[in-house]
Amino acid sequence: MFVSKFLSIFIIFFLSACGSDHSPGSDQARSFQSTYQPEESGEFVIVGATVLTGAGQEYELGEVWVSNNKIVQSGVNLSYPKGIKKIDAKGKWITPGIIDIHSHMGVYPSPSLRSNSDGNEAIDPVTPHVWAEHSVWTQDTQMPLALKGGITTFHVLPGSANLFGGRGVTLKNIWSRTVQGMKFPNAPYTLKMACGENPKRVYGRSSGPSTRMGNVAGYRKAWIQAQEYKDKENPVRDLKLETLSGVLEGKILVQNHCYRGEEMAIMIDVAKEFNYKVTAFHHAVEAYKIADILAENDVCAAMWADWWGFKHEAYDMIWENVAIVDQANNGKGCAIVHSDSSIGVQRLNQEAAKAMAAGNKAGFTISKARAIQWITKNPAKALGILETVGTLETGKMADIVVWDQDPFSVYAKTEKVFIDGILHYDIENPSTPKPTDFELGLIKPEEDRM
Amino acid sequence: MKIFVCFILFSFSLFSVGENILLKNASIFLASQGDALVSSDILISNGLIVKIEKEISAKVDKVIDLDGLLVTPGLIAPYSHLGILELEMVPETRDDSSSVYTAGLSISSSFNPLSTLIPNNRRGGITSALSVPSSSGLFAGLASAYSLSGSLHQSLISEDIALFGAISSGTDSRSAKTLMLEDSFDAASRIINLDDWESVSGLPKDFFLSKRDIKSLQRVLSKEIPLVIKADRASDILYLLKFSESLGIRLIIRGAAEGWMVAGDIAKLKVPVILEPINNLPSSFDELGARLDNASKLYESGVPIMIASHEHATHNLHLSRQGAGVAVSYGLPWQEALKAMTSNVADSFGLEKIGYIKEGYSADLVVWNKDPLELSAYPEHILISGKLISGQSRSTRLRDRYLKIN
Repeated sequence: MFVSKFLSIFIIFFLSACGSDHSPGSDQARSFQSTYQPEESGEFVIVGATVLTGAGQEYELGEVWVSNNKIVQSGVNLSYPKGIKKIDAKGKWITPGIIDIHSHMGVYPSPSLRSNSDGNEAIDPVTPHVWAEHSVWTQDTQMPLALKGGITTFHVLPGSANLFGGRGVTLKNIWSRTVQGMKFPNAPYTLKMACGENPKRVYGRSSGPSTRMGNVAGYRKAWIQAQEYKDKENPVRDLKLETLSGVLEGKILVQNHCYRGEEMAIMIDVAKEFNYKVTAFHHAVEAYKIADILAENDVCAAMWADWWGFKHEAYDMIWENVAIVDQANNGKGCAIVHSDSSIGVQRLNQEAAKAMAAGNKAGFTISKARAIQWITKNPAKALGILETVGTLETGKMADIVVWDQDPFSVYAKTEKVFIDGILHYDIENPSTPKPTDFELGLIKPEEDRM
Repeated sequence: MKIFVCFILFSFSLFSVGENILLKNASIFLASQGDALVSSDILISNGLIVKIEKEISAKVDKVIDLDGLLVTPGLIAPYSHLGILELEMVPETRDDSSSVYTAGLSISSSFNPLSTLIPNNRRGGITSALSVPSSSGLFAGLASAYSLSGSLHQSLISEDIALFGAISSGTDSRSAKTLMLEDSFDAASRIINLDDWESVSGLPKDFFLSKRDIKSLQRVLSKEIPLVIKADRASDILYLLKFSESLGIRLIIRGAAEGWMVAGDIAKLKVPVILEPINNLPSSFDELGARLDNASKLYESGVPIMIASHEHATHNLHLSRQGAGVAVSYGLPWQEALKAMTSNVADSFGLEKIGYIKEGYSADLVVWNKDPLELSAYPEHILISGKLISGQSRSTRLRDRYLKIN
């Protein structure tokens, strides 16, 4: 997957020059707004399951009570009204909807073709003006498969060819004709940045940067321009600087692709120099080397359970990476398990299970109630949407997964996936998940792909 | 069948001379007929399994009481670039392709037993692997089988044991690839004196086969080694079945994402398949029918299946276990999933003395803390050729250093 990201250098965006309001950050007010509106969910309660709330609890014979698309309450012996619709989940497990903070669904879709490879605007190392949502193919076949794996929210990032790759977007995993129809309401924008080998490989023989020090000079140069832009009274509208100044104003969250420990420490200092914050490092194969520094600076790390060796900067992988980040400074670390993969996104629960097992074998005591946060609460935090999603706490979106067994088992499958209280996947309903347009009549004219 | 075998077990002079080990109270998955686990002891001597019986008493160097833990044959990776690739995107660490040789490319002289990928995969329960060249084009080259002992002197199990290729990748169309496949073997079958082959091959000018390449094809034609072709599309698989039947060669199909559509046809010819059962994506127009129950459907039809790992395959060969677990949750019997990583691989590639727990076989064994397909499973003990192997790797060394710092 990541190889194709670097090769896709033929993609050029044509951004329409619409809008007349030239003040920094104003773009967020008007264009490309979310039109997502769930149907009314009604009121129901799921009973009898082992519930991992994502907020740190595990309830035996737990209940999750939903009304008006929101969680009313989760726990045991809830006082829901008599006659409420009950869904029996005896022997099942319930978790919050799974959130993948590092996805390229829609921008590197399946099938993977040069003609739909839309994740890297690899013509210039500084492209904060491109937005991933303008590339998303809503009919990517990965999306319904991810839904079957419990993914209810995913964050689509541009690739990592560039120092500044562009804006990321957070989407609800629902079938929609438009990207706007999938956009997570009121989720902040994000900015993809990339350290290390990728930018220098892509630009090393042309414009540069060709070294890691060149990378850092590139970030600093751009931030200096952004500072000037931000301080201007009526600047001529500049899409690049609009995004960067949005970061400096704290409105746009930095998602920073970075593998090596010392490089992440440098990036934290770059952020301090220009008074912004790195919200999360992505891939972070060496996060364990600086887990205390990450915890002190309140920076999350989004990691794989066991990927390694595809590049030199991915050589020092350890299976305990996630656990060490999680347990840093007496459990103050913010660890996230991400996929960056069309295979992994379908089973983030399994990736978290491997990371938990490795941590516990190394002597930590990490419960399932804790480990589930790596794929629910913590990614919600790093996407700036924890207030509305990521746990089964009162008032949050009713994004709920019912598993046939312990989701930390390789044999676990989802049985029901609710998004805002609406059942989008039900193992008993063969017409769910709704197939993409691409899959209709694809193999046999009378049938869907699956 | 002529296979170049240099069994580690027969030349034990260089390490752990004659260590005898007794594994007590094992719960054994034999990987042979009968799916039930066998409660027994295992006696290991001179690198071999010498006795599988209850209550063995013997004078040995070491007794390990397993208290009912599961023992399986060491897992065999049916497809890897082990020992010929260190970092995927660093070309100078790769010895897995050629632009000169095709069918004749052998990797046996470049295999590096000290690659860091070996201890990492061993930690996951892999004890041997086929190492396969990855050149794009019709023929990738010849695979050799290695143990993951890490020994500089005794890693090779069997040299040049299968010819790998693909008909759907690369720049030329499958129409041309299939013709090249036919023409290559046709040329190889007509050439008796290899010194004259250039004048009689009848091959297109820019499709060059060296003497070495032709020799590989001839070994396929004489059924000495199997031909392993990557193909996912159902119609490609049918073509290959017909092709192999017409030449009477041993075919193995790798990929077979749409194998379930033609499972009966594959089963009829008893053609084994190498699957990545975790792959259910229509990643290309060759695998639109990819699905998670492919492995179980193929098994039910009687196709011998092998399970390979998927993403970053060679670095994480042990993730075949995760793929096997997924296949089981979609209907493949658990025992068959284990055979797909042990005995089926040995049988399909004619690897002798590995893949089963059997008296007289190499003591390549893994003792598991729990069901090896589970995500929290790990080897408690690993034996390769009767030698207990350390669970350390570069990765565990890094872990231990930084656990102290944090």
